[in-house]
Amino acid sequence: MEEPSKFERYVYKNASVYHYMKISLVLENGNKYITDAQFKQLITCGLKDLYGEVGASFPFDLLKFDQNELTGILRVYNSGLVKLWSALTLLGSYQNEACAFRVMQVSPFLLALSGNSRELQFGDQLTL
Amino acid sequence: MKERSYFALFKLINSFNLSLFCDLSRYLLCEVCVPDRSSLQLLEDRTIYNTLRAAVNRAHGDYGSALFNIGVIVKYLNAHTGVVLIRSRKKHYRLIWSALSFITCLENRGQKVQCFLNCLHVGGTIRTCQKFLVKYNRQQLHRMLPACKTDAEKQEVRRAILSCSLSNVREEEADEDGSDDDGDEET
Repeated sequence: MEEPSKFERYVYKNASVYHYMKISLVLENGNKYITDAQFKQLITCGLKDLYGEVGASFPFDLLKFDQNELTGILRVYNSGLVKLWSALTLLGSYQNEACAFRVMQVSPFLLALSGNSRELQFGDQLTL
Repeated sequence: MKERSYFALFKLINSFNLSLFCDLSRYLLCEVCVPDRSSLQLLEDRTIYNTLRAAVNRAHGDYGSALFNIGVIVKYLNAHTGVVLIRSRKKHYRLIWSALSFITCLENRGQKVQCFLNCLHVGGTIRTCQKFLVKYNRQQLHRMLPACKTDAEKQEVRRAILSCSLSNVREEEADEDGSDDDGDEET
């Protein structure tokens, strides 16, 4: 058993200007063909419904998009996180079809989205 | 005995739900600017209310509409001078104020009137807005004095300026209406 490494904790307040969200789109009738532009357009429509023109003009970026799984990583400024998250929650339909956005992870640091203890799989690396 | 009465008082105060000073509001004093003065005559406060509601819905969506529904009301409208007083909650007055800039036309009984709403003053009470309005009207009258062509009109405007005071605010606006129309005929 390797000896335990020293433990250091850093606490930052407002360390990052952005917040990163890992989201996935779940459609009622199975996956459709959606491009990344259409995905972003869908989120913008949701923002526009809830927060109007002013809300829809808030800048956010789609950093990564997986077309097979319909998952993506969004980046938004700190002040817009609440608006974006609430708009994603209340978005209900895409082209007259019921859909839902699942928010899997939110973090001010992009690195934190690379690992998720919920999806961690213990392989043969764990030895006693 | 004393402690019990203090305890009862404390419970009573807490039961007021901390809303003793939370009816704060902001009054937006605005002016409707139209190119043609006569189209102002038929203006109603319902028109302003509906136009503002549509503008807030477009600019701020469902969130804005909800805020508008709970807090906003058109308190006063003067069809002769185009002065509107809009009341809103203190927390959301900026949202309503920002939507004012997006109003381009007022629809009144099927007639579309091109206009824009100019915000003159933001006050915490109706009284402060009234005081500002008196001062503002006096400044407008001063500006109108050199534009008057005949002596009778000059006398009229001078009399109106001298009679500017908070208690006479209704008569003063009536005088301003009279000299306003005269001023407009000249210009």
